[in-house]
Amino acid sequence: MNLSQHLPALIVVVPLFFAFVMPLLARWRKQWCVPVTLGAIIFSFVAAVKMAFQVMNTGPFSYYMGDWPPPWGIELGIDYLAAFAALTITGVGLLIIWYGSKDLLHELKAEVIGWYYTLYLLLIASMVGIVITNDIFNMFVFLEICAIAACGIISIKESRDCIEAAFKYLVLSVLGSGAFLLAVAMLYMVTGHLNFTFMAEALPEAMALYPNNLLVALALLIVGLGVKAALFPLHVWLPDAHSSAPSPSSAVLSALVIKVYAVAMIRLLYLVFPRELLGMAPVMEIILWMSSLAIIIGSMFAIVQDDIKKMLAYSSIAQIGYVFLGVGLMSESALVGGILHIFNHALMKSMLFLAAGAFIYGTGVRKLSELKGIGHTMPIPAIAFCIGAFSMVGIPITSGFISKWYLALGSLDVGRPFFMGVILISSLLNGFYYLPIVVNAFFGEPEKAVAKPKPLPKQMLVPLTILSFGVIFFGVFPSLILGIVYRAAQLLLGL
Amino acid sequence: MEDVIVRYVSRFILPFVQLYGLYVVLHGHLSPGGGFSGGAVIGASMILYALSFNLAAGSKKLSHDVSSILESSGALIFAGMGLLSILLGGNFLANRAAGIPLGTPGNLFSSGSIAIITFGVGIKVASTMITLFYSLIEEEGHSHDHH
Repeated sequence: MNLSQHLPALIVVVPLFFAFVMPLLARWRKQWCVPVTLGAIIFSFVAAVKMAFQVMNTGPFSYYMGDWPPPWGIELGIDYLAAFAALTITGVGLLIIWYGSKDLLHELKAEVIGWYYTLYLLLIASMVGIVITNDIFNMFVFLEICAIAACGIISIKESRDCIEAAFKYLVLSVLGSGAFLLAVAMLYMVTGHLNFTFMAEALPEAMALYPNNLLVALALLIVGLGVKAALFPLHVWLPDAHSSAPSPSSAVLSALVIKVYAVAMIRLLYLVFPRELLGMAPVMEIILWMSSLAIIIGSMFAIVQDDIKKMLAYSSIAQIGYVFLGVGLMSESALVGGILHIFNHALMKSMLFLAAGAFIYGTGVRKLSELKGIGHTMPIPAIAFCIGAFSMVGIPITSGFISKWYLALGSLDVGRPFFMGVILISSLLNGFYYLPIVVNAFFGEPEKAVAKPKPLPKQMLVPLTILSFGVIFFGVFPSLILGIVYRAAQLLLGL
Repeated sequence: MEDVIVRYVSRFILPFVQLYGLYVVLHGHLSPGGGFSGGAVIGASMILYALSFNLAAGSKKLSHDVSSILESSGALIFAGMGLLSILLGGNFLANRAAGIPLGTPGNLFSSGSIAIITFGVGIKVASTMITLFYSLIEEEGHSHDHH
């Protein structure tokens, strides 16, 4: 038995396994919940790192569940995009739950904390499953687990806002799953395959016979995944869900969950559907305009918010627009920018949400106007917030600059400078709502609760510090992560 | 609900319902049905018992704690069989390829890990139905402050 060859299965199965151990531990060994959860996610992270090295050294590889080769069995395919996304999910997911192990104690009732770890592990397992599976029905199953776990970590707080937001999210997300399932059925009907590779081979022939069927399937996929990824006109559930949830939930939902659907869409659009089909309907053009609207309107909505978490949630709508802008432009640089932004945004948005969570933990204040002078009394979260804000605006030496740079290059490559204008305007808008907070935090006088915050435990400070270090580090040395992103983009574009 | 007819009728049909559920679970690899449908029948029988007698009597037979434990262990049996295949040298969830004996097709003890996984799914579904039922019922007794 060689454990390393089973990593693609184990990276999903180990968190899933411990998710079901967690209710038992919560009943008898409460103090083991946190170490076991951290251990399971550390295992997945190490597995993701190992797979990333393997994929960079020897190229993409696949794993057959139950030794059944495709098209009969389920195939897990580790290509560059999958390894990159798995690395992002497990790495950022680990830091968030490490922070959460302290923060959750004051946000949740004691008897549901064990369930939170169950849901969190299920969420991590399903997200990794979505990005590494090479089978569309398997992807649907993971989408469902992900949707339910994501609703669970919102509604677990049991306040009126959370339950309302989670219910709205549940209804829309299930609508998205339904659209996805219908698309799977339509694709299966005309190709006879569920495996991506076989489906991609059968589609050109099927396209000649049933073009309308495939166009409907494509539309359903884009709407289904678009609802879940909160692509602009389909984003209505996101602000409430992400702002009312406990801070670690907000961080994982904004940083990772919406990105996973973007990865799924990238895979389907680039690797499964034939290019000619994308030419029959202006799919990429639609995605481009939706994402441009998301970037501008998301930022504009964020400006008028006074609740710190609501502002961050609207900012996520704008940021997911960048990812889809990279997808829609169909050039190498733009795709690199879009995929890289998945990673960069995961780092900075989780950091911003965790910093906001730290402010709320320390002072109980959520209103931006009352957070004056927080930089004097809670320096570490305030500095982290400041770095995150700079990265959001895209100031050089932060990682946000790198992805915006590649997106801008990509829009020039395909001769559409208009979209570079969109990026520039949105950067200005970002500056418009992030920088006043930073200025207020460091140059305002602390008042009332802000003047005497509760001290933050180490478990909350260390993840924040690591994340802010990461934002600067990957802004100064982007080549470490760009290697795998470049290869992912080249594989997707067939270069 | 204190109804003599309901009590007697349910007392009469419960053993048959449970036996049938168990049959469907254990023959999951041979006949139509399987872990999910059989587990649902067993779970429904417990709900019927709790409804026709009362919640206290139902909890005495199978408490909320025990049903949560069964719920976890059902899922763990499934995942554990997958990991066992890796230990035996196959891929995750491999059956014959990992060297698990398959037995004679058509026998009750055959098909290797499939029969055990079906059994695990049966436990999981039955206990999930009961746990859901308890959660819904017990919710009404508690007063909640979040309104």
